Amino acid sequence: MGLWISKLWSLFGDQEARILVLGLDNAGKTTILYRLQVGEVVSTIPTIGFNVETVTYKNIKFQVWDLGGQTSIRPYWRCYFPCTQAIIYVVDSTDTDRIGISRDEFKALLDEEELRDSLILVFANKQDLPNALSDAQIAEGLGLHDIKNRDWAIFKTSAVKGEGLFEGLDWLSNTLKTRRK
Amino acid sequence: MSDGKYFSTTKRGEIHELKEELRSLDRPKKKDAVKKVIAAMTVGKDVSMLFPDVVNCMQTDDLELKKLVYLYLINYAKTQPDLAIMAVNTFVKDSQDPNPLIRALAVRTMGCIRVDKITEYLCDPLQRCLKDDDPYVRKTAAVCVAKLYDINPELVEDRGFLDMLREMLSDANPMVVANALAALQEIQELAGPGGKDLLQMSTQTLNKLLAALNECTEWGQVFILDSLAAYDTRDPKDAEKIAERVLPRLQHVNSAVVLSAVKVILRCMDVVALGPSGGEDTIKAWSKKMAPPLVTLLAAEPEVQYVALRNINLIVQRRPAVLANEVKVFFCKYNDPLYVKMEKLEIMIRLASDKNIDQVLLELKEYAQEVDVDFVRKAVRAIGRCAVALEKATERCINVLLELIQTKVSYVVQEAIIVIKDIFRRYPNQYESIIATLCDNLDSLDEPEAKSSMVWIIGEYAERIDNADELLEAFLETFPEETSMVQLQLLTATVKLFLKKPTESAQKMISAVLSCATTETDNPDLRDRAYIYWRLLSTDPEAAKDVVLAEKPVIADDSSSLDPSLLEALVSRYLATVAAVYHRPPETFVSRQRLAVTRADELGARKFEEEDGSVPGAMVSDNNAAAAAGAAAAAAASSVGDLLDMSDPTPMPAAPVAAAAVAPAAPRGLDDLLGGLGSLDMGGGAPPAASTSASADPFAALSGPAPATSLSGGGAAPVAGAGMSPAALSQLPTLLANPGGVSVQGRLVRQAGQIVYQLALRNDTMAPVDGLMIQTNRNSFGLGPASQVLAIPTPGGAVPPGSVAAVRVPLLIDVSKVTPPPLSTGLQVALRTTQVGVLYFNDAVPLSALTEETGSMEAADFLAAWKALPPEASARLPLAVPSADVAKQRLAAANLFVLAHRQVPATGQDAIYATCRITAGGVGQVLLELKFVAGAGGVDVSVKAERQDVAQLVFDGLPSVLLGAA
Repeated sequence: MGLWISKLWSLFGDQEARILVLGLDNAGKTTILYRLQVGEVVSTIPTIGFNVETVTYKNIKFQVWDLGGQTSIRPYWRCYFPCTQAIIYVVDSTDTDRIGISRDEFKALLDEEELRDSLILVFANKQDLPNALSDAQIAEGLGLHDIKNRDWAIFKTSAVKGEGLFEGLDWLSNTLKTRRK
Repeated sequence: MSDGKYFSTTKRGEIHELKEELRSLDRPKKKDAVKKVIAAMTVGKDVSMLFPDVVNCMQTDDLELKKLVYLYLINYAKTQPDLAIMAVNTFVKDSQDPNPLIRALAVRTMGCIRVDKITEYLCDPLQRCLKDDDPYVRKTAAVCVAKLYDINPELVEDRGFLDMLREMLSDANPMVVANALAALQEIQELAGPGGKDLLQMSTQTLNKLLAALNECTEWGQVFILDSLAAYDTRDPKDAEKIAERVLPRLQHVNSAVVLSAVKVILRCMDVVALGPSGGEDTIKAWSKKMAPPLVTLLAAEPEVQYVALRNINLIVQRRPAVLANEVKVFFCKYNDPLYVKMEKLEIMIRLASDKNIDQVLLELKEYAQEVDVDFVRKAVRAIGRCAVALEKATERCINVLLELIQTKVSYVVQEAIIVIKDIFRRYPNQYESIIATLCDNLDSLDEPEAKSSMVWIIGEYAERIDNADELLEAFLETFPEETSMVQLQLLTATVKLFLKKPTESAQKMISAVLSCATTETDNPDLRDRAYIYWRLLSTDPEAAKDVVLAEKPVIADDSSSLDPSLLEALVSRYLATVAAVYHRPPETFVSRQRLAVTRADELGARKFEEEDGSVPGAMVSDNNAAAAAGAAAAAAASSVGDLLDMSDPTPMPAAPVAAAAVAPAAPRGLDDLLGGLGSLDMGGGAPPAASTSASADPFAALSGPAPATSLSGGGAAPVAGAGMSPAALSQLPTLLANPGGVSVQGRLVRQAGQIVYQLALRNDTMAPVDGLMIQTNRNSFGLGPASQVLAIPTPGGAVPPGSVAAVRVPLLIDVSKVTPPPLSTGLQVALRTTQVGVLYFNDAVPLSALTEETGSMEAADFLAAWKALPPEASARLPLAVPSADVAKQRLAAANLFVLAHRQVPATGQDAIYATCRITAGGVGQVLLELKFVAGAGGVDVSVKAERQDVAQLVFDGLPSVLLGAA
């Protein structure tokens, strides 16, 4: 009964969602976070640690955790896994050298028990730069099509220009809402 | 609502619950949870497992919550050094917050988190905060530099923070000036006596400091005053200028400020006295101004009074004129605590002069009739010391003493007799008339010192005391039971009596005493003295007279006076510090051991020591016992295998006597080592012969009296180079610093395909040290000395006192002595000497000593091997490499062969691929990938090898290779 009411309530009131932004260093995670939050491009330095901001979009309050992507910090990503509704995995589309490493990290995330139920949203970032790989190539590189039994989507984004980000959030909020019902 | 409720939960499963609450999205709930965590922390519960969850609460606009999280971080960052890195970004953000309070809080907290891994990231925010617009942030950052210096001095120097601090001395804000100064003083102290002089003051900074003096807080004033006292000037005008600004500080309510101001003015007095006119008038005027504030200090509570009195004691010794007219202030009040009274007495004696002696004596006489025994005794002694010091007042003092003796109070009489003995020594043949009075009180003597004083008086004036023989005889009855002090005095007095009045009874007495002292005592002093007298008397009585009754030098009152150089140091440098209360220089009671810091690479610190040579044994313990204990602990912890090794078939004869002496400090882990040395001992030759031949050697004699200087000073004469110049010797890292004993410097190097220990042994003892032998504990590489006897190139193999001997010890690799994995670079070494026993020290085997000259391979093979080997281990080393070429050069110098070099376009990094081979310890071929941006901090290193435990070896070893230290 109580559960039912709260579910009903959530149809009208704000929903909250905990989201992790992950990816290799220099993929553009922090820039995306602040583009979403303040709507402009801020100058960033490598994130040694994390940033957390709340972004309200379409009645959903996203608590967005942006974790540093350095090799030394990746082992601590797991401290943030519990209760995560969605992961935004950011890939630097121009970093062809490290797409393999990116895939390995991505696969490791998929295998995490705690992230079993979280949505996967991939941003093929830096599309504004020349010789950026297309979203299809990134999907290929990450092996997205091998994913079974979970919701995922990939979007071409440019954090600098602000393109593709909110489309991604649209997908996220829609999927989250359908899931709650 | 009180916060007490946070302390009251003691449910089970609390931690889990807290974790949930910390993750809550509800703000008040989260804050409550953090408060509960802090409460648990305060009562001593371990809540370190909540670290990641608490850190996640860090990014908040709630200042209260932020402060709580910071508090948690300071406490637990050390226990979770790896996770602490997650807090860095928040710190960096906070240090740019618009609110200056948050900026300062962030930089302060970062300084308090003593985790090496994050110090690197501290630098940029710190640099920004040092230039902040807000003075509060600047002053906090200044203090933070000193904290950072304690963790990583190299970093501070590289980033130019010291220069920035010095610039801050001319800051517009007095608080900033005072804090920058305090930080510099702290750093100076940390750097030790060998460090650069950071506080070299120009006239301009001097003016700035003087200007800031008036405006900053009391503790800031203390820092400024301290540095003014250290300001080295010879110009009387400068001194006058300083004193003029400092004199008003004497009126300050804070006694620390007053005492520091006094210190500065005393210093200025010294300088003024150097001037052409001798500055007498100036000094007089200043003294006059100094007296009232010092007197005021005595109005405070007894504890402060005591501290003030200890300081005043020093001041009065240095400049009696300051308080010459204030003796009355130091008269004891009936309700003063004993420790204050004692100090006051001391000062009264120092201030007693012909002018005020009557008053002082009256007081002392009063004190001598009080009830507190210790105080009474001290008062009686004080009278005696006045008598010894002031010739004109002696008569009056003696009269007072005689009056006191009439009281017949046992301890007063005894004390009086002791001081009268001193008066007799000071003024011989003047006051002997009182002996009769003394003799009336013989019965009340029961303390050894009083007894022996009386016996001395009887012996010394035997010819004037008619019944001297009877008196002595009375004492002699109890001769066997007396303490040795009294026995010795009785023996001498009897001899004197016999020489002065050779009567029959005296003869009887002397033979009785001599036979008793020679046959019935086991005190060697007494026996020997008796024999000497006996022989003197039996061979030549005239000579005996000349010896025993010789004129004695006149004594002066120097009890409780300090050595002039110590006094000078205490007054001009340590006044108003604990040292001035103890009357001892700080190094005698404070050890300069730096706080242990969780360090990723100890090598960095060690390198610093090499270059600077100023931190005495910070990483390697600076004394024998500690080193032994450390080695023992390490051995016990690391090697269970070594315990089994005790059944090693090596013959272990009963020789390790010397080893047994250290054995209590070194538990079983080291036994195989000790056993090895013990068996060595048998074949080690004849040490006594060696030492005599060494002293006969003219060169040894020449280098022998070389004054003892500090190890890094290089002032001692090296005995022989062993292929090393004195400069090279002084650059070796210190392995064992042991002032006053044998110190060891050394480094493992690779020379012509062989691993060689370059050692420099320094002998600070008074005698030559020989019988030197070396042994290493079992280690990961099977390293051991080729020959255990150290070939010191002097005759007899001895290191003369005060000199340094250099030795090359070739090391061999014995595969059978390799310890099982994991690989460790640690090397425990024992050095045996005949004179100072076994010395232990820990060293680390540098990478460059292990890598072989023929360890290169083909690039194609490298590729194949890279693919074939198990996944690499990677780490980021906190280093800056100036350029790829320099890196290649340094790698090549350490036998790390560079096979390929390319640019990584995406990251702008240089990638270098290198290889090396290490046969020792079965490591085999090692493949490395180094990625770095030239000039920037941080080198990403990946390592591949057959064995998985090799990576750490390379990570540990690379910094010194890349820094070009090896």
